Amino acid sequence: MAIQIPATKEVLAALMRADFTTVWRNRRSLRLVLAVPLIILISWKGLVNHLGAFVVLSSVLTIGLTSIGLMGYTNSIARDRDKGVFQRLRVAPVSSWTIMFSRISVQVTLIAVMTLLVFTVGFAVDGIRISALGYLTGFLMTLQAGCLYLGLGQLITGLIKNPETVNSTTRLVYFAFIMVGMFGQFGVLGDVVKKVVIWSPYGVVQKALAGSLQPLSWTMDHTLALAGTLAYTLIFVALGVKYFKWDSK
Amino acid sequence: MITTEASLILDVNQISVYYGQFAAVKEVSFSVKPGEIFGLLGPNGAGKTSTLSAIEGLLQPNAGTITVAGYDVVKQPLQAKANMGVQLQSTSYQPELTITDILRLFAGIYGVKLSAADIAQKLEEIQLQDAAGKKFGQLSGGQQQRISLLISTIHNPVLVLLDEPTTGLDPQSRRQLWERIEAIREQGHGVLLTTHSMEEAEAVCDRIAIIDHGRIIAIDTPERLIDLHRHHPEVIRASRKGKITLEDVFIGLTGRAVRS
Repeated sequence: MAIQIPATKEVLAALMRADFTTVWRNRRSLRLVLAVPLIILISWKGLVNHLGAFVVLSSVLTIGLTSIGLMGYTNSIARDRDKGVFQRLRVAPVSSWTIMFSRISVQVTLIAVMTLLVFTVGFAVDGIRISALGYLTGFLMTLQAGCLYLGLGQLITGLIKNPETVNSTTRLVYFAFIMVGMFGQFGVLGDVVKKVVIWSPYGVVQKALAGSLQPLSWTMDHTLALAGTLAYTLIFVALGVKYFKWDSK
Repeated sequence: MITTEASLILDVNQISVYYGQFAAVKEVSFSVKPGEIFGLLGPNGAGKTSTLSAIEGLLQPNAGTITVAGYDVVKQPLQAKANMGVQLQSTSYQPELTITDILRLFAGIYGVKLSAADIAQKLEEIQLQDAAGKKFGQLSGGQQQRISLLISTIHNPVLVLLDEPTTGLDPQSRRQLWERIEAIREQGHGVLLTTHSMEEAEAVCDRIAIIDHGRIIAIDTPERLIDLHRHHPEVIRASRKGKITLEDVFIGLTGRAVRS
């Protein structure tokens, strides 16, 4: 007798269990991805009064999102594609969207964990206090902004097939985002760079996050930053899906 | 859909696969019956992998149809894939997962309930009971192939596709794998096997198709292929020590030139 297609929820549960196990067993990489924003948050304790709690929290969250999207997600996708892990799954009765949904769910969970850790360390170590509504809207905005960096990662793996080139490219982009973004937003690199950074994926996410952490002080600048975040997300996701290949050969 | 014993498990009908202007597969047709091991042989670049990829649903043929257990692989891909088990040429799994994790993953994907005892029993059947907690990369080539075959057949599929399953194995491991492939046939399942080993094709295949330059140039049982072509001048020229083998027929039909 012919075999029937297994239920999607069973397939998804199996994929997610495997993907979460993979991340958990990769604890060194996991710790690094989560440690970067926390180290910056702790080391910026003395700047909270100078820069403002919202700027500090939003900058640190943006760096955390960049770490997860570029260093974690992108490299794991590139590695598994190169090893043929995806091809093995695709010859099974698994739709492509199920494979990707499982992968993205793991990353969204990581983003949620990173956000909660940043809020907790910010509260406990840096003494940052914001409203309950600010925490809630900030949390939701982090999830949305995370999609921008996951989309950027997807685009990089779509344009570059070799996993080592993907790795070096993501490191370069990550470094550029952190160094140019962080210093640029404070005007250290000049006015021109500051303007570029404000409208870059780093700048719009940082601004939208800063606004979401203080929803009662939301301004038109925050709305524009949110619109920029959504636009970048749509562009990166659309191009990432268009150019992504399941096989690196 | 129910597959009766008389019906075909795999039916490849006039498929063509193009990469741009290049025709990798041209109007290829063959079928696999229940309880049959069918070998697809051909030199490098002959069109074997493209044909297999089309059957597996990894690429869409530009023309023709393929059905697995009656399901069209293009129109009903998930149903077709649910009815086949695939062992790719270079299989890989997430390196962080143990053999138990991998078995659970694929059991879940194919909708098979596997308890810890079931997993232990399945591993014992392939003499890998100590491998449960090991990573796939920690196993030898022969052990990896046994695990891959176990995963390919975990859902008891009607069709098993094996892409060069014994490449790189020592003679003992190869013989053991042949026995497992023959056991699949004994259960009434169909097997489509690609190989570069003529010895393997002669030893385990019930029927063989030789593909070259994207076309099937011969299709029959190994014995009849030898009988039909034993007087072909190129086959005689290819023979060594006076005895015509399947390899001589293969060389005689596909030429002596080394393919890239």
